[in-house]
Amino acid sequence: MNIFERMQKLDRRWIYIVVALAIIIPLMIPYDSDNVTTPPTENLYQMIDSFAGREDRAILMSFYHDAATMPELFPMEVAILRHCFERNVKVFTLTWFPAGAPIIDYAINSVKEEFPDIQSGVDYCNFGYKPQAFAMVLGMGDNIANTMNTDAEGRKLENLPIMKGINNYSEMNLAIEFSGSSAGGMWITYARPKYGLNVAVGVTAVMAADMYPYLQSGQLIGMLSGLKGAAEYEKLVDIFAAYRDPKIDYSIKVDEDGNQILPGRPFGREILEDDSSKKLSLITTQTKAKFSMDEFAAFSAKYPENMALLNSLRSLEDDMVIIDVTQITPEQRSQMGETMYRELDRLTRNTLYKFKVARIGMNAQSVAHIMIIVFIVLGNIGYFIQKARQAKN
Amino acid sequence: MSFELFSNLVGAFFTLCIFSFLYKDNPFYQAAEQMLVGISLGYGLVYTYNRVFVPYVWQTIVIKHQFVLIIPAIMGILYLFRFSRKLGWLSRYPIAFSMMGVGIGVPMGIHASILVQMRQAMVPIESVNLFLIFIGTIAVLLYFFFSKAHSGAYGKFVNVGKWYMMIGFGASFGLTVMARISLLIGRIQFLVNDVFGILK
Amino acid sequence: MKKTIPLLIVILGGLIWVAWAFSPHYILQEVFYNQFYLPWAYASSPFAMLLGVLSLTMMHSNKIKTRGPKWQYSYFFFGSFIITCLAGFIGGIQKGSLFMWMFENVQMPMSATMFSLLAFYMASAAYKAFRARSPEATVLLVAAIVVMLAQVPLGVQISKHLPSISQWILDVPNLASKRGIMLGVGLGSVATSLKILLGIERSYLGGGD
Repeated sequence: MNIFERMQKLDRRWIYIVVALAIIIPLMIPYDSDNVTTPPTENLYQMIDSFAGREDRAILMSFYHDAATMPELFPMEVAILRHCFERNVKVFTLTWFPAGAPIIDYAINSVKEEFPDIQSGVDYCNFGYKPQAFAMVLGMGDNIANTMNTDAEGRKLENLPIMKGINNYSEMNLAIEFSGSSAGGMWITYARPKYGLNVAVGVTAVMAADMYPYLQSGQLIGMLSGLKGAAEYEKLVDIFAAYRDPKIDYSIKVDEDGNQILPGRPFGREILEDDSSKKLSLITTQTKAKFSMDEFAAFSAKYPENMALLNSLRSLEDDMVIIDVTQITPEQRSQMGETMYRELDRLTRNTLYKFKVARIGMNAQSVAHIMIIVFIVLGNIGYFIQKARQAKN
Repeated sequence: MSFELFSNLVGAFFTLCIFSFLYKDNPFYQAAEQMLVGISLGYGLVYTYNRVFVPYVWQTIVIKHQFVLIIPAIMGILYLFRFSRKLGWLSRYPIAFSMMGVGIGVPMGIHASILVQMRQAMVPIESVNLFLIFIGTIAVLLYFFFSKAHSGAYGKFVNVGKWYMMIGFGASFGLTVMARISLLIGRIQFLVNDVFGILK
Repeated sequence: MKKTIPLLIVILGGLIWVAWAFSPHYILQEVFYNQFYLPWAYASSPFAMLLGVLSLTMMHSNKIKTRGPKWQYSYFFFGSFIITCLAGFIGGIQKGSLFMWMFENVQMPMSATMFSLLAFYMASAAYKAFRARSPEATVLLVAAIVVMLAQVPLGVQISKHLPSISQWILDVPNLASKRGIMLGVGLGSVATSLKILLGIERSYLGGGD
């Protein structure tokens, strides 16, 4: 048997081993890469961001899937929750599957760990598992508190602070459904024509191509497609929502003109296309907080009592002041206080593992896609050469 | 060994039981598969009891005294007669009650999947892309119109629909590959980080 | 007679629903929907779960009785089902209970792993079955390869135009073909719903008397 016949008859278990290695190795060696954002993701980001800081707007996240599709949909959900908690957007969550209820708890608890000020019933509300999706979707268009009645913990909705200013779809103006199949169908067919609700979806990539007609017709305002959509959204959150300007004091909520000071910054195309934004969404671990001279002066002015400590930790490099957080000892950390330490940690622009899962996955995805393309090409080469030989014989 | 590590190891064990099927069908895989079905069914039953039966049937009838709801409760029990040969016709009543909802599907379905899509396909053709979309939509629709034979000039036009569909399915295939691999990446991330990451 | 009354329920109820979609009248919106349909739908829905339980129980006990193929594994089904039910009904369903622990650490990993097996099968199919046998298949494979490369970060390093080419493929030819298919499917499903509504299609009632 010549080499091409042997190639065609290769035992598929060898293929399985190659697949497993092609994914395990990139996951163990993180490296920086850039995921280009696409308009469906950017539109969804901008719509959620427009609700930032508003008491009369909220979003609803519908977790319409079970554990099987979690690897693609969970990073999207975590990224959106992080965006909402960073920019003070009210969030409601629910699921139509019993198996979806633990997933909501995982997502909220995982993100809440980094935001000690976020409270259930004030900044977010979990409705949990609700049966009879059709009736609930239509009922929320009239009045959410009457339809849903209680949240997942059994508290009556009317008594919760989060419901102040939220009555129905006129205020809870965006519903995002995460599903591996038929995402958004019920919302687009029933809630949107009757109540004018904005609908977006987070789908596994299998369904993504089928959703494009809805995107163009405006029935969907945005879409996150698979792991790539999650990676794009994580990048947008890192560059905009999680961004902190060292000069601004975010503990003050309202400035002297009465305008709200919100953490993060609004979406801007020029910032996204600028090269400096690449440094804000790196996958590898970052430990150094970098300041320009004015930024450092403004930052240290916020903490005058720790000026000496800051000066002892800083070092200079190319006109930039560098503070390496790994050099801070536990005594120095308790001396400077948790608030200052957290702010320094944030200014390293390091992303926690749980907030960059999709981007790490996309690195493995690169290798896997090259592998599949090589398989297709090799298979076809072998097939055509076999065919030519048989034709000659 | 902490409780969290133990739980992750249990999860990893069952993950590897299912992965073992790739080498060969074996007793570990068969047992794990049946346990999966058993636990899923048990979970669904208990959750439905706690979150649907208790608040919407038990509490409304026994505590709020809305006795008229005994009728739909009995109607729900009639579902079980599906397995009886003599009394199987009783199960048609709860099915008929749920099928009533098809009435709302007709006007809403016509609006959302047909009228809105048609309206968007008939926008003024201001750019090359919109022209291509217009031609493609019509060609694909006509491709599935089997009452007229695909021959002559009509056949050539309809052939364009076939090419559009090939590109569309190619795009779907490319995205499907990404989806399937993502699911595997998720599992390997669990094994590498949550299990072996802690053991390191 | 045994089929006529359910048929009449579907036809009359369906027509009232159609009227509900268009009319804001009090009798339809409040009396029919809020006071009749909603409570009745909630009250009759939990029993459908018992159908699934009964069906699987009958199938597995039959297998054990007749010693069908792989009958021993049916004991695993019964064991895990009974333990889960007991843990749920006795221990409760709050976070941290045995019931939730079993679901999160046994069912969830296994369910996710079942789906991840597809990645291996896809790679095997890519090597053994995806052949560019005709011009159409070649176009399909080329479009797939372009989209696949553009999705990953590597794509933008191969060529900086690749993401916009892939976005064009998704926004124009893919959109046109999916829209054509969606219109066809929409028309078909509306036709079927209309047939059920008017009593022409009766297969949902089942066969027999």
